[in-house]
Amino acid sequence: METLVRVTDLTRRFGPHTALAGLNLTLARGEVLGLLGPNGAGKTTCLRLLSGNLAPSSGQVEIAGIDLARNPVAAKRLLGYLPERPPLYQDLRLDEYLQFCARLHRVPRAKTADAVAEAKHRCGLDGLGRRPIAKLSKGFRQRLGIAQAILHRPPLLILDEPTEGLDPVQVREVRNLVRELSRDSGVIFSSHILPEVQAVCNRVAILHRGRLLRGDHLAAHQSALIWRLRLSAPAHCASLAALACVAAATSLPDERIRVVLKPDAGPEELTRQLVAAGLGLQELTPERSDLERVFFDLIGAEERT
Amino acid sequence: MILTIAGRELRGGLVTPLLWVLLGASQVVLAWVFLKVVDDFSGLGADERVASLSLEVALNLFGFAAVIAMLAAPLIAMRMLSAEFRDGSFDLIGAAPIHLYTVVLGKFLGTAALLTPLCLLPALNLTLLAGTAHLDLGLCAAATLGLWLAALMFGAIGLYTASLSDQPGAAVLAAFGLLLLFSIIGRAQDLSIPGLSLFGWLAWNEHLFWFLLGAVRVSDLAYFLLFTGFFLALTHRRLANRRLA
Repeated sequence: METLVRVTDLTRRFGPHTALAGLNLTLARGEVLGLLGPNGAGKTTCLRLLSGNLAPSSGQVEIAGIDLARNPVAAKRLLGYLPERPPLYQDLRLDEYLQFCARLHRVPRAKTADAVAEAKHRCGLDGLGRRPIAKLSKGFRQRLGIAQAILHRPPLLILDEPTEGLDPVQVREVRNLVRELSRDSGVIFSSHILPEVQAVCNRVAILHRGRLLRGDHLAAHQSALIWRLRLSAPAHCASLAALACVAAATSLPDERIRVVLKPDAGPEELTRQLVAAGLGLQELTPERSDLERVFFDLIGAEERT
Repeated sequence: MILTIAGRELRGGLVTPLLWVLLGASQVVLAWVFLKVVDDFSGLGADERVASLSLEVALNLFGFAAVIAMLAAPLIAMRMLSAEFRDGSFDLIGAAPIHLYTVVLGKFLGTAALLTPLCLLPALNLTLLAGTAHLDLGLCAAATLGLWLAALMFGAIGLYTASLSDQPGAAVLAAFGLLLLFSIIGRAQDLSIPGLSLFGWLAWNEHLFWFLLGAVRVSDLAYFLLFTGFFLALTHRRLANRRLA
Protein backbone atom coordinates (compact mmCIF):
# COMPACT_ATOMS: atom_id res chain seq x y z
CA MET A 1 0.00 0.00 0.00
CA GLU A 2 1.21 3.48 -0.84
CA THR A 3 2.59 5.38 2.15
CA LEU A 4 0.89 8.76 2.42
CA VAL A 5 2.38 10.10 5.62
CA ARG A 6 5.65 9.22 7.24
CA VAL A 7 6.43 10.80 10.59
CA THR A 8 9.96 10.25 11.84
CA ASP A 9 11.06 10.96 15.37
CA LEU A 10 8.79 13.99 15.70
CA THR A 11 9.43 16.03 18.84
CA ARG A 12 7.90 19.29 19.92
CA ARG A 13 8.82 21.27 23.01
CA PHE A 14 7.12 24.36 24.41
CA GLY A 15 9.84 25.81 26.61
CA PRO A 16 10.69 23.20 29.22
CA HIS A 17 7.49 21.25 28.50
CA THR A 18 7.73 18.43 25.96
CA ALA A 19 4.37 18.12 24.24
CA LEU A 20 5.40 15.38 21.85
CA ALA A 21 8.43 13.12 22.15
CA GLY A 22 9.91 11.02 19.35
CA LEU A 23 6.70 10.14 17.51
CA ASN A 24 6.97 7.69 14.64
CA LEU A 25 3.96 7.01 12.47
CA THR A 26 3.03 5.97 8.98
CA LEU A 27 -0.29 6.17 7.22
CA ALA A 28 -1.20 4.53 3.96
CA ARG A 29 -3.84 5.61 1.49
CA GLY A 30 -7.18 4.13 2.45
CA GLU A 31 -6.36 3.94 6.15
CA VAL A 32 -8.13 5.72 8.96
CA LEU A 33 -5.85 6.38 11.89
CA GLY A 34 -7.43 7.33 15.18
CA LEU A 35 -5.33 9.38 17.55
CA LEU A 36 -6.45 8.62 21.05
CA GLY A 37 -5.37 9.98 24.36
CA PRO A 38 -6.49 11.75 27.48
CA ASN A 39 -6.58 15.55 27.58
CA GLY A 40 -3.13 17.06 27.22
CA ALA A 41 -1.68 13.92 25.67
CA GLY A 42 -0.34 15.82 22.66
CA LYS A 43 -3.04 14.97 20.08
CA THR A 44 -3.68 18.53 18.96
CA THR A 45 0.05 19.35 18.93
CA CYS A 46 0.62 16.30 16.74
CA LEU A 47 -2.09 17.33 14.27
CA ARG A 48 -0.90 20.94 14.22
CA LEU A 49 2.59 19.70 13.37
CA LEU A 50 1.19 17.51 10.59
CA SER A 51 -0.80 20.43 9.18
CA GLY A 52 2.26 22.67 9.04
CA ASN A 53 0.80 25.19 11.50
CA LEU A 54 3.54 24.38 13.97
CA ALA A 55 7.18 23.63 13.32
CA PRO A 56 8.69 20.61 15.06
CA SER A 57 11.60 20.98 17.50
CA SER A 58 13.12 17.99 15.75
CA GLY A 59 12.03 15.21 13.46
CA GLN A 60 10.45 15.08 10.06
CA VAL A 61 7.03 14.91 8.46
CA GLU A 62 6.71 13.65 4.90
CA ILE A 63 3.46 13.79 2.99
CA ALA A 64 3.51 11.56 -0.09
CA GLY A 65 7.30 11.76 0.00
CA ILE A 66 7.38 15.57 0.20
CA ASP A 67 9.13 17.04 3.24
CA LEU A 68 6.70 19.40 4.97
CA ALA A 69 9.47 21.62 6.36
CA ARG A 70 11.48 21.93 3.14
CA ASN A 71 8.64 22.22 0.67
CA PRO A 72 5.60 23.32 2.68
CA VAL A 73 3.53 24.65 -0.21
CA ALA A 74 3.73 21.44 -2.26
CA ALA A 75 3.08 19.29 0.81
CA LYS A 76 0.14 21.37 2.01
CA ARG A 77 -1.56 21.01 -1.36
CA LEU A 78 -2.22 17.41 -0.40
CA LEU A 79 -3.90 18.02 2.91
CA GLY A 80 -7.20 19.16 4.30
CA TYR A 81 -7.18 20.23 7.93
CA LEU A 82 -9.89 20.78 10.48
CA PRO A 83 -8.34 22.36 13.59
CA GLU A 84 -9.69 22.02 17.10
CA ARG A 85 -11.71 25.21 16.60
CA PRO A 86 -13.20 25.44 13.10
CA PRO A 87 -11.23 28.22 11.32
CA LEU A 88 -14.20 30.36 10.26
CA TYR A 89 -14.55 34.01 9.35
CA GLN A 90 -17.50 35.38 11.26
CA ASP A 91 -18.05 38.23 8.84
CA LEU A 92 -18.57 36.11 5.72
CA ARG A 93 -21.54 34.16 4.47
CA LEU A 94 -21.25 30.40 4.21
CA ASP A 95 -20.90 30.33 0.41
CA GLU A 96 -18.41 33.21 0.40
CA TYR A 97 -16.32 31.39 2.96
CA LEU A 98 -16.24 28.12 1.04
CA GLN A 99 -15.43 29.95 -2.19
CA PHE A 100 -12.53 31.66 -0.42
CA CYS A 101 -11.30 28.28 0.86
CA ALA A 102 -11.55 26.87 -2.67
CA ARG A 103 -9.38 29.73 -3.95
CA LEU A 104 -6.86 29.19 -1.12
CA HIS A 105 -6.57 25.54 -2.05
CA ARG A 106 -6.28 26.37 -5.73
CA VAL A 107 -9.45 24.68 -6.90
CA PRO A 108 -9.82 25.78 -10.55
CA ARG A 109 -12.39 28.56 -10.92
CA ALA A 110 -14.53 26.51 -13.27
CA LYS A 111 -14.83 23.75 -10.67
CA THR A 112 -15.34 25.95 -7.62
CA ALA A 113 -19.14 26.00 -7.73
CA ASP A 114 -19.34 22.20 -8.02
CA ALA A 115 -16.77 21.66 -5.27
CA VAL A 116 -18.61 24.03 -2.92
CA ALA A 117 -21.98 22.43 -3.66
CA GLU A 118 -20.62 18.94 -3.12
CA ALA A 119 -18.87 19.79 0.15
CA LYS A 120 -22.02 21.47 1.42
CA HIS A 121 -24.12 18.49 0.43
CA ARG A 122 -21.79 15.99 2.08
CA CYS A 123 -21.83 17.96 5.34
CA GLY A 124 -25.57 18.61 5.39
CA LEU A 125 -25.29 22.33 4.72
CA ASP A 126 -27.58 22.52 1.68
CA GLY A 127 -29.68 25.64 1.55
CA LEU A 128 -27.60 27.57 4.09
CA GLY A 129 -25.31 29.27 1.57
CA ARG A 130 -26.61 32.79 2.25
CA ARG A 131 -26.47 32.41 6.04
CA PRO A 132 -23.83 34.60 7.79
CA ILE A 133 -21.35 32.39 9.63
CA ALA A 134 -21.76 34.48 12.81
CA LYS A 135 -25.38 33.27 12.98
CA LEU A 136 -24.62 29.55 12.65
CA SER A 137 -25.03 27.22 15.62
CA LYS A 138 -22.08 25.27 17.03
CA GLY A 139 -22.99 22.09 15.17
CA PHE A 140 -23.29 23.87 11.85
CA ARG A 141 -19.96 25.59 12.40
CA GLN A 142 -18.35 22.24 13.00
CA ARG A 143 -19.91 20.90 9.81
CA LEU A 144 -18.68 23.93 7.91
CA GLY A 145 -15.20 23.28 9.31
CA ILE A 146 -15.37 19.74 7.93
CA ALA A 147 -16.73 21.01 4.60
CA GLN A 148 -13.76 23.37 4.34
CA ALA A 149 -11.34 20.49 4.92
CA ILE A 150 -12.82 18.14 2.31
CA LEU A 151 -13.68 20.81 -0.27
CA HIS A 152 -10.62 20.28 -2.49
CA ARG A 153 -10.67 16.47 -2.14
CA PRO A 154 -7.29 16.19 -0.44
CA PRO A 155 -5.46 12.85 -0.38
CA LEU A 156 -4.75 13.40 3.32
CA LEU A 157 -7.38 14.56 5.75
CA ILE A 158 -6.46 15.71 9.26
CA LEU A 159 -9.43 16.13 11.56
CA ASP A 160 -9.07 17.31 15.14
CA GLU A 161 -12.09 16.05 17.07
CA PRO A 162 -14.47 16.28 14.11
CA THR A 163 -17.59 15.14 15.95
CA GLU A 164 -17.27 17.69 18.74
CA GLY A 165 -20.52 19.59 19.19
CA LEU A 166 -22.54 17.50 16.76
CA ASP A 167 -25.85 15.79 17.46
CA PRO A 168 -25.97 11.97 17.43
CA VAL A 169 -27.43 11.84 13.92
CA GLN A 170 -24.69 14.06 12.60
CA VAL A 171 -22.04 12.09 14.49
CA ARG A 172 -23.15 9.02 12.60
CA GLU A 173 -23.13 10.92 9.32
CA VAL A 174 -19.59 12.15 9.98
CA ARG A 175 -18.46 8.61 10.70
CA ASN A 176 -19.98 7.47 7.42
CA LEU A 177 -18.36 10.41 5.67
CA VAL A 178 -14.94 9.51 7.10
CA ARG A 179 -15.37 5.91 5.96
CA GLU A 180 -16.42 7.08 2.53
CA LEU A 181 -13.49 9.49 2.26
CA SER A 182 -11.03 6.85 3.36
CA ARG A 183 -11.71 4.95 0.15
CA ASP A 184 -9.39 7.22 -1.78
CA SER A 185 -7.59 9.20 0.89
CA GLY A 186 -5.88 8.72 4.23
CA VAL A 187 -7.56 10.11 7.30
CA ILE A 188 -6.01 10.96 10.66
CA PHE A 189 -8.38 12.03 13.33
CA SER A 190 -8.15 12.64 17.00
CA SER A 191 -10.76 11.90 19.57
CA HIS A 192 -11.13 11.08 23.19
CA ILE A 193 -14.30 9.09 22.52
CA LEU A 194 -13.28 5.45 22.41
CA PRO A 195 -16.36 3.93 20.70
CA GLU A 196 -16.04 6.50 17.96
CA VAL A 197 -12.48 5.53 17.21
CA GLN A 198 -13.42 1.88 17.31
CA ALA A 199 -16.31 2.46 14.94
CA VAL A 200 -14.35 4.30 12.29
CA CYS A 201 -10.65 3.58 12.45
CA ASN A 202 -8.71 0.61 11.22
CA ARG A 203 -5.65 1.76 13.13
CA VAL A 204 -5.23 3.39 16.47
CA ALA A 205 -2.38 5.38 17.95
CA ILE A 206 -2.62 5.95 21.65
CA LEU A 207 -0.77 8.98 22.93
CA HIS A 208 -0.04 9.69 26.54
CA ARG A 209 2.06 12.55 27.87
CA GLY A 210 3.45 13.18 24.43
CA ARG A 211 4.61 9.63 23.79
CA LEU A 212 3.16 7.03 21.48
CA LEU A 213 2.13 4.01 23.51
CA ARG A 214 0.70 1.92 20.75
CA GLY A 215 0.13 2.34 17.04
CA ASP A 216 -1.38 -0.94 15.96
CA HIS A 217 -4.09 -2.18 13.74
CA LEU A 218 -7.30 -2.77 15.58
CA ALA A 219 -7.90 -6.44 16.11
CA ALA A 220 -11.15 -6.97 14.28
CA HIS A 221 -13.95 -9.04 15.74
CA GLN A 222 -12.00 -10.21 18.71
CA SER A 223 -14.76 -11.03 21.10
CA ALA A 224 -14.57 -9.92 24.66
CA LEU A 225 -14.98 -12.41 27.44
CA ILE A 226 -16.71 -10.22 30.04
CA TRP A 227 -20.39 -9.47 29.53
CA ARG A 228 -23.15 -7.82 31.50
CA LEU A 229 -26.68 -9.09 31.21
CA ARG A 230 -30.13 -8.42 32.61
CA LEU A 231 -32.76 -11.11 32.92
CA SER A 232 -36.54 -10.69 32.95
CA ALA A 233 -37.01 -12.64 36.19
CA PRO A 234 -34.52 -12.20 39.03
CA ALA A 235 -32.28 -15.20 38.80
CA HIS A 236 -29.59 -16.46 41.06
CA CYS A 237 -26.03 -16.27 39.93
CA ALA A 238 -25.66 -19.94 40.57
CA SER A 239 -28.12 -20.82 37.80
CA LEU A 240 -26.03 -18.80 35.39
CA ALA A 241 -22.75 -20.19 36.60
CA ALA A 242 -24.17 -23.61 35.91
CA LEU A 243 -24.28 -22.90 32.17
CA ALA A 244 -21.63 -24.70 30.17
CA CYS A 245 -20.00 -21.66 28.65
CA VAL A 246 -19.81 -19.54 31.81
CA ALA A 247 -16.69 -19.49 33.92
CA ALA A 248 -18.02 -17.20 36.64
CA ALA A 249 -21.07 -15.05 37.36
CA THR A 250 -21.49 -12.27 39.93
CA SER A 251 -24.51 -10.05 40.54
CA LEU A 252 -24.09 -6.30 40.28
CA PRO A 253 -25.94 -3.65 42.34
CA ASP A 254 -28.05 -2.51 39.36
CA GLU A 255 -29.74 -5.94 39.02
CA ARG A 256 -27.40 -6.83 36.19
CA ILE A 257 -25.20 -9.86 36.30
CA ARG A 258 -21.58 -9.87 35.29
CA VAL A 259 -20.58 -12.98 33.45
CA VAL A 260 -17.10 -14.18 32.56
CA LEU A 261 -17.10 -16.60 29.66
CA LYS A 262 -14.82 -19.52 29.19
CA PRO A 263 -12.00 -18.67 26.76
CA ASP A 264 -13.43 -20.57 23.80
CA ALA A 265 -17.01 -19.33 24.22
CA GLY A 266 -18.64 -16.37 22.49
CA PRO A 267 -21.79 -14.32 23.01
CA GLU A 268 -23.76 -16.52 20.54
CA GLU A 269 -23.07 -19.52 22.69
CA LEU A 270 -24.08 -17.64 25.83
CA THR A 271 -27.37 -16.46 24.32
CA ARG A 272 -28.24 -19.88 23.05
CA GLN A 273 -27.69 -21.44 26.43
CA LEU A 274 -29.55 -18.66 28.23
CA VAL A 275 -32.59 -19.12 26.01
CA ALA A 276 -32.41 -22.89 26.31
CA ALA A 277 -32.33 -22.58 30.10
CA GLY A 278 -35.42 -20.32 29.91
CA LEU A 279 -33.81 -17.50 31.85
CA GLY A 280 -35.53 -14.70 29.84
CA LEU A 281 -32.66 -12.62 28.49
CA GLN A 282 -33.46 -8.88 28.31
CA GLU A 283 -30.11 -7.19 27.79
CA LEU A 284 -26.61 -8.27 26.89
CA THR A 285 -23.67 -5.85 26.62
CA PRO A 286 -19.92 -6.31 26.49
CA GLU A 287 -18.41 -4.91 29.65
CA ARG A 288 -15.50 -3.12 28.09
CA SER A 289 -14.46 -2.99 24.52
CA ASP A 290 -11.04 -4.19 23.48
CA LEU A 291 -9.92 -0.70 22.79
CA GLU A 292 -11.11 0.54 26.14
CA ARG A 293 -9.24 -2.25 27.88
CA VAL A 294 -6.09 -1.58 25.89
CA PHE A 295 -6.42 2.14 26.49
CA PHE A 296 -6.86 1.92 30.22
CA ASP A 297 -4.24 -0.78 30.56
CA LEU A 298 -1.70 1.38 28.75
CA ILE A 299 -2.59 4.65 30.45
CA GLY A 300 -2.85 2.95 33.81
CA ALA A 301 0.48 1.24 33.38
CA GLU A 302 1.97 4.56 32.41
CA GLU A 303 0.59 6.35 35.42
CA ARG A 304 1.87 3.76 37.87
CA THR A 305 5.43 4.21 36.68
CA MET B 1 -3.45 34.50 -4.40
CA ILE B 2 -2.46 37.90 -2.98
CA LEU B 3 -5.65 39.34 -4.47
CA THR B 4 -7.73 36.49 -3.03
CA ILE B 5 -6.53 37.30 0.48
CA ALA B 6 -6.82 41.06 -0.06
CA GLY B 7 -10.32 40.56 -1.44
CA ARG B 8 -11.40 38.63 1.62
CA GLU B 9 -9.99 41.29 3.93
CA LEU B 10 -11.72 44.00 1.93
CA ARG B 11 -15.04 42.19 2.01
CA GLY B 12 -14.66 41.48 5.71
CA GLY B 13 -13.82 45.13 6.34
CA LEU B 14 -16.78 46.41 4.36
CA VAL B 15 -19.39 44.30 6.13
CA THR B 16 -18.22 45.14 9.65
CA PRO B 17 -19.15 48.51 11.13
CA LEU B 18 -15.59 49.50 12.13
CA LEU B 19 -14.66 51.06 8.78
CA TRP B 20 -17.94 52.96 8.44
CA VAL B 21 -17.76 54.30 11.97
CA LEU B 22 -14.17 55.42 11.33
CA LEU B 23 -15.12 57.11 8.07
CA GLY B 24 -18.16 58.80 9.60
CA ALA B 25 -16.30 60.08 12.65
CA SER B 26 -13.36 61.22 10.52
CA GLN B 27 -15.65 63.13 8.18
CA VAL B 28 -17.29 64.96 11.10
CA VAL B 29 -13.88 65.99 12.48
CA LEU B 30 -12.47 66.92 9.08
CA ALA B 31 -15.56 68.95 8.20
CA TRP B 32 -15.08 70.91 11.41
CA VAL B 33 -11.39 71.55 10.70
CA PHE B 34 -12.27 72.49 7.12
CA LEU B 35 -14.93 74.95 8.28
CA LYS B 36 -12.51 76.50 10.79
CA VAL B 37 -9.75 76.95 8.16
CA VAL B 38 -12.05 78.47 5.57
CA ASP B 39 -13.73 80.67 8.19
CA ASP B 40 -10.41 81.99 9.51
CA PHE B 41 -9.09 82.56 6.01
CA SER B 42 -12.14 84.44 4.79
CA GLY B 43 -12.07 86.60 7.95
CA LEU B 44 -8.61 87.97 7.13
CA GLY B 45 -7.96 90.86 4.82
CA ALA B 46 -5.98 90.23 1.63
CA ASP B 47 -2.83 91.83 3.13
CA GLU B 48 -3.04 89.81 6.36
CA ARG B 49 -2.95 86.45 4.61
CA VAL B 50 0.44 84.81 4.90
CA ALA B 51 -0.30 81.68 2.88
CA SER B 52 -2.65 80.71 0.08
CA LEU B 53 -5.94 78.99 0.86
CA SER B 54 -4.64 75.82 -0.76
CA LEU B 55 -1.65 75.76 1.54
CA GLU B 56 -3.70 76.58 4.64
CA VAL B 57 -6.14 73.79 3.82
CA ALA B 58 -3.37 71.32 2.97
CA LEU B 59 -1.45 71.92 6.17
CA ASN B 60 -4.47 71.80 8.46
CA LEU B 61 -6.91 69.42 6.79
CA PHE B 62 -4.44 66.87 5.43
CA GLY B 63 -2.25 67.18 8.51
CA PHE B 64 -5.22 66.38 10.72
CA ALA B 65 -6.31 63.55 8.42
CA ALA B 66 -2.85 62.02 8.88
CA VAL B 67 -3.35 61.99 12.64
CA ILE B 68 -6.73 60.28 12.14
CA ALA B 69 -5.12 57.74 9.80
CA MET B 70 -2.53 57.10 12.49
CA LEU B 71 -5.32 56.19 14.90
CA ALA B 72 -7.36 54.25 12.32
CA ALA B 73 -4.66 52.09 10.73
CA PRO B 74 -3.88 49.95 13.81
CA LEU B 75 -7.61 49.37 14.36
CA ILE B 76 -8.05 48.13 10.81
CA ALA B 77 -4.84 46.10 10.84
CA MET B 78 -5.55 44.33 14.12
CA ARG B 79 -8.48 42.46 12.53
CA MET B 80 -6.21 41.01 9.90
CA LEU B 81 -3.81 39.07 12.10
CA SER B 82 -4.29 39.53 15.81
CA ALA B 83 -8.02 38.81 15.80
CA GLU B 84 -7.44 35.85 13.47
CA PHE B 85 -4.90 34.35 15.86
CA ARG B 86 -7.40 34.79 18.68
CA ASP B 87 -10.34 33.26 16.77
CA GLY B 88 -8.24 30.42 15.38
CA SER B 89 -9.11 31.31 11.78
CA PHE B 90 -5.44 31.86 10.96
CA ASP B 91 -5.04 28.06 11.03
CA LEU B 92 -6.92 28.00 7.72
CA ILE B 93 -4.20 30.10 6.10
CA GLY B 94 -1.48 28.25 8.02
CA ALA B 95 -2.55 24.93 6.49
CA ALA B 96 -3.20 26.31 3.00
CA PRO B 97 -0.67 25.81 0.20
CA ILE B 98 0.46 29.44 0.03
CA HIS B 99 3.69 31.26 0.79
CA LEU B 100 3.79 33.51 3.82
CA TYR B 101 4.80 36.52 1.76
CA THR B 102 1.55 36.24 -0.19
CA VAL B 103 -0.29 36.31 3.13
CA VAL B 104 1.58 39.43 4.26
CA LEU B 105 1.14 41.22 0.93
CA GLY B 106 -2.52 40.22 0.69
CA LYS B 107 -3.26 41.50 4.17
CA PHE B 108 -1.31 44.67 3.48
CA LEU B 109 -3.18 45.27 0.24
CA GLY B 110 -6.44 44.77 2.13
CA THR B 111 -5.35 47.29 4.77
CA ALA B 112 -4.34 49.76 2.06
CA ALA B 113 -7.66 49.35 0.27
CA LEU B 114 -9.57 49.99 3.49
CA LEU B 115 -7.46 53.05 4.37
CA THR B 116 -7.70 54.63 0.92
CA PRO B 117 -11.23 56.09 1.36
CA LEU B 118 -10.01 57.78 4.54
CA CYS B 119 -7.11 59.33 2.61
CA LEU B 120 -9.48 60.64 -0.04
CA LEU B 121 -11.77 62.33 2.48
CA PRO B 122 -9.82 65.66 2.67
CA ALA B 123 -9.73 65.94 -1.12
CA LEU B 124 -13.44 65.16 -1.18
CA ASN B 125 -14.07 68.01 1.26
CA LEU B 126 -12.09 70.33 -0.98
CA THR B 127 -14.41 69.69 -3.92
CA LEU B 128 -16.91 71.88 -2.04
CA LEU B 129 -14.67 74.83 -2.89
CA ALA B 130 -14.50 73.94 -6.57
CA GLY B 131 -15.79 76.85 -8.62
CA THR B 132 -15.73 79.31 -5.73
CA ALA B 133 -12.02 79.49 -5.03
CA HIS B 134 -8.84 78.93 -6.99
CA LEU B 135 -7.22 75.85 -5.57
CA ASP B 136 -3.79 74.53 -6.41
CA LEU B 137 -4.70 71.08 -7.73
CA GLY B 138 -1.10 69.98 -7.85
CA LEU B 139 -0.70 70.81 -4.19
CA CYS B 140 -3.86 68.87 -3.31
CA ALA B 141 -2.66 65.89 -5.32
CA ALA B 142 0.74 65.97 -3.62
CA ALA B 143 -0.88 66.25 -0.19
CA THR B 144 -3.25 63.34 -0.95
CA LEU B 145 -0.32 61.22 -2.15
CA GLY B 146 1.65 62.08 0.99
CA LEU B 147 -1.29 61.24 3.21
CA TRP B 148 -1.82 57.94 1.43
CA LEU B 149 1.85 56.98 1.69
CA ALA B 150 1.82 57.85 5.39
CA ALA B 151 -1.33 55.74 5.83
CA LEU B 152 0.39 52.80 4.10
CA MET B 153 3.27 53.07 6.51
CA PHE B 154 0.88 53.23 9.47
CA GLY B 155 -0.88 50.16 8.05
CA ALA B 156 2.41 48.27 7.80
CA ILE B 157 3.26 49.20 11.41
CA GLY B 158 -0.25 48.13 12.44
CA LEU B 159 0.17 44.78 10.70
CA TYR B 160 3.50 44.22 12.37
CA THR B 161 2.16 44.84 15.87
CA ALA B 162 -0.92 42.74 14.99
CA SER B 163 1.42 39.85 14.21
CA LEU B 164 3.01 40.14 17.64
CA SER B 165 0.03 39.34 19.82
CA ASP B 166 -3.21 37.39 19.74
CA GLN B 167 -4.75 40.09 21.90
CA PRO B 168 -6.10 42.72 19.47
CA GLY B 169 -6.22 45.35 22.23
CA ALA B 170 -2.55 44.87 23.04
CA ALA B 171 -1.68 44.95 19.33
CA VAL B 172 -3.47 48.28 18.87
CA LEU B 173 -1.79 49.82 21.91
CA ALA B 174 1.63 48.62 20.75
CA ALA B 175 0.98 50.19 17.34
CA PHE B 176 -0.10 53.47 18.94
CA GLY B 177 3.07 53.46 21.03
CA LEU B 178 5.27 52.82 18.00
CA LEU B 179 3.48 55.43 15.90
CA LEU B 180 3.66 58.05 18.64
CA LEU B 181 7.36 57.35 18.96
CA PHE B 182 7.73 57.90 15.22
CA SER B 183 5.80 61.16 15.61
CA ILE B 184 7.84 62.71 18.39
CA ILE B 185 11.25 61.21 17.71
CA GLY B 186 12.13 64.32 15.68
CA ARG B 187 12.03 66.39 18.83
CA ALA B 188 14.99 64.49 20.23
CA GLN B 189 17.02 66.25 17.56
CA ASP B 190 17.67 69.07 20.01
CA LEU B 191 19.38 66.60 22.31
CA SER B 192 21.77 65.20 19.76
CA ILE B 193 24.72 66.72 17.96
CA PRO B 194 23.57 69.62 15.80
CA GLY B 195 23.85 68.83 12.12
CA LEU B 196 23.31 65.10 12.57
CA SER B 197 19.56 64.93 12.18
CA LEU B 198 18.95 61.19 12.17
CA PHE B 199 16.09 61.52 14.62
CA GLY B 200 14.58 64.29 12.56
CA TRP B 201 14.78 62.07 9.51
CA LEU B 202 13.05 59.21 11.33
CA ALA B 203 9.91 61.22 12.14
CA TRP B 204 7.13 60.71 9.60
CA ASN B 205 5.61 64.16 10.09
CA GLU B 206 8.74 65.87 8.82
CA HIS B 207 8.41 63.96 5.55
CA LEU B 208 4.68 64.43 5.22
CA PHE B 209 5.22 68.17 5.72
CA TRP B 210 6.99 68.45 2.37
CA PHE B 211 4.13 66.69 0.60
CA LEU B 212 1.71 69.13 2.22
CA LEU B 213 3.77 72.02 0.87
CA GLY B 214 3.30 70.49 -2.56
CA ALA B 215 6.81 69.13 -2.95
CA VAL B 216 7.09 65.46 -3.89
CA ARG B 217 10.68 64.67 -3.06
CA VAL B 218 12.31 61.35 -3.82
CA SER B 219 13.82 61.26 -0.33
CA ASP B 220 10.36 61.50 1.27
CA LEU B 221 8.92 58.91 -1.12
CA ALA B 222 11.83 56.66 -0.25
CA TYR B 223 11.30 57.20 3.48
CA PHE B 224 7.66 56.05 3.40
CA LEU B 225 8.29 53.14 1.04
CA LEU B 226 11.36 52.05 2.97
CA PHE B 227 9.60 51.92 6.30
CA THR B 228 6.49 50.28 4.81
CA GLY B 229 8.71 47.60 3.35
CA PHE B 230 10.71 47.30 6.55
CA PHE B 231 7.65 46.67 8.72
CA LEU B 232 6.17 44.25 6.18
CA ALA B 233 9.43 42.32 6.24
CA LEU B 234 9.28 42.26 10.04
CA THR B 235 5.69 40.98 9.83
CA HIS B 236 6.80 38.20 7.50
CA ARG B 237 9.60 37.27 9.84
CA ARG B 238 7.27 37.25 12.80
CA LEU B 239 4.72 35.02 11.03
CA ALA B 240 7.48 32.61 10.04
CA ASN B 241 8.76 32.50 13.62
CA ARG B 242 5.29 32.08 15.03
CA ARG B 243 5.33 28.43 13.96
CA LEU B 244 8.36 27.92 16.18
CA ALA B 245 6.91 29.57 19.28
